[in-house]
Amino acid sequence: MTNAYELIINILTALGVYDMILDMFKPSGTEFVLKLIIVVIELAVLFAFVLVTVMFLTWMERKVVAMVQSRYGPMVTGPRGLLQPVMDGVKLIGKEDIVPAKADKFVFNLAPYLAFVPALLVFIPLPFGESLIISDLRVGLLYIIAISALTPISILLAGWASNNKYTLMGAMRAVAQDISYTIPLALAAITVVMFTGSLSTVDIVSAQSGTWFGIIPKWFIFIQPLGFLLFLIASIAEMGRIPFDFQESESELVAGFFTEYSGMKFAMYFLAEYAHLFAVSGILVTIFLGGWNGPVLPGIPVVITSLVYFLLKTYAVVFFAMWLRDTVPRMRIDQLLNIGWKIMIPLALLNLLVTGFLITAGVI
Amino acid sequence: MSEVVFLVISVLTVFFAMMVVRADNLVHSAIYLAGAFIGTAGLFLLLKAEFVAWAQVLVYVGAVVTLILFTIMLTRKGEAE
Repeated sequence: MTNAYELIINILTALGVYDMILDMFKPSGTEFVLKLIIVVIELAVLFAFVLVTVMFLTWMERKVVAMVQSRYGPMVTGPRGLLQPVMDGVKLIGKEDIVPAKADKFVFNLAPYLAFVPALLVFIPLPFGESLIISDLRVGLLYIIAISALTPISILLAGWASNNKYTLMGAMRAVAQDISYTIPLALAAITVVMFTGSLSTVDIVSAQSGTWFGIIPKWFIFIQPLGFLLFLIASIAEMGRIPFDFQESESELVAGFFTEYSGMKFAMYFLAEYAHLFAVSGILVTIFLGGWNGPVLPGIPVVITSLVYFLLKTYAVVFFAMWLRDTVPRMRIDQLLNIGWKIMIPLALLNLLVTGFLITAGVI
Repeated sequence: MSEVVFLVISVLTVFFAMMVVRADNLVHSAIYLAGAFIGTAGLFLLLKAEFVAWAQVLVYVGAVVTLILFTIMLTRKGEAE
């Protein structure tokens, strides 16, 4: 089994219904319709999973902030406030959809979709577990980096179309930050590709299976500690979270590039932000923390244990990002750009060079 | 099947490319340009050239269009004579 499509077919075959379903389509020669239906089901499951995750993440964010500040956080709606995100969603849907009078309406309405769609597309080559992947692209990592590079366009368009000085300033900062931190991000990811010799996410994960001396797992974080650190910092900057949240620093820019958005369009930016947080954490886990690898438990299918390991690791990274948000103050934009261009990029290049030498010399 | 996809993608790409020069607003032109680049990436995908396709998205849509938008927004709009 390599991807979710084959997993679904295997499950159907095991249940003994696959041949029956196939016979329904075969006489008319429309097997591709069945293929299409299975793919649509996969994508629907992924979409539902992302939506539920985003709702859970907003709740978790509030709870983590509350924990750090010795409060309870949301407690009233549902058990321990678990239904709070549902109420928030209902509230946002019910709000009036305001378009500023002087806004460029076409661009203003288009921008939230341009943020939302890439945030979902990033999940396609992300291995959630053994064979739990929508499509194992041969150039998965490049695909992820390319799709992430689409977000600045949406931010820039949203900031410009709102016709508001705060949104434009927020957008400018966000894009300057995104452009300068994509470079160390990609350079740190490339070092891992040099080890695996493949851009496919599945190959990267399987290269990290096994252990050294029976205890230390063969994760790339141990071979590439500097690369991991650079990738972590750059990905937090890409996510636009404190200490790098200049795009929406509320004490200076109201709410940054989405100040003028309300109702569903605001919700879409919100969704995109948290989906991005989860996706970037998942990518970090896939590249450096062994993906879904973990000790095999007898009696439980690998599909389930691998999914559990992946989610555990990803939520650990997400928790780290939230924890950082509550304990570190915001930096200044000039400090951020200085660190990006004068420290991160030279370090990433040095890391690349040293790794290349070591691989050529056959040391690692 | 792939002929139909090719037809749809090429028509869209040509349409976007035409709109780049037809649009009155420069920012709208830049958006259509991004659409044309993504269409080209789609054509590369049809040719099974995945690397070229995603490199196209990364370099042209991610970097070139962003820089064009940046330049348009930061410069003063030409006043009508």
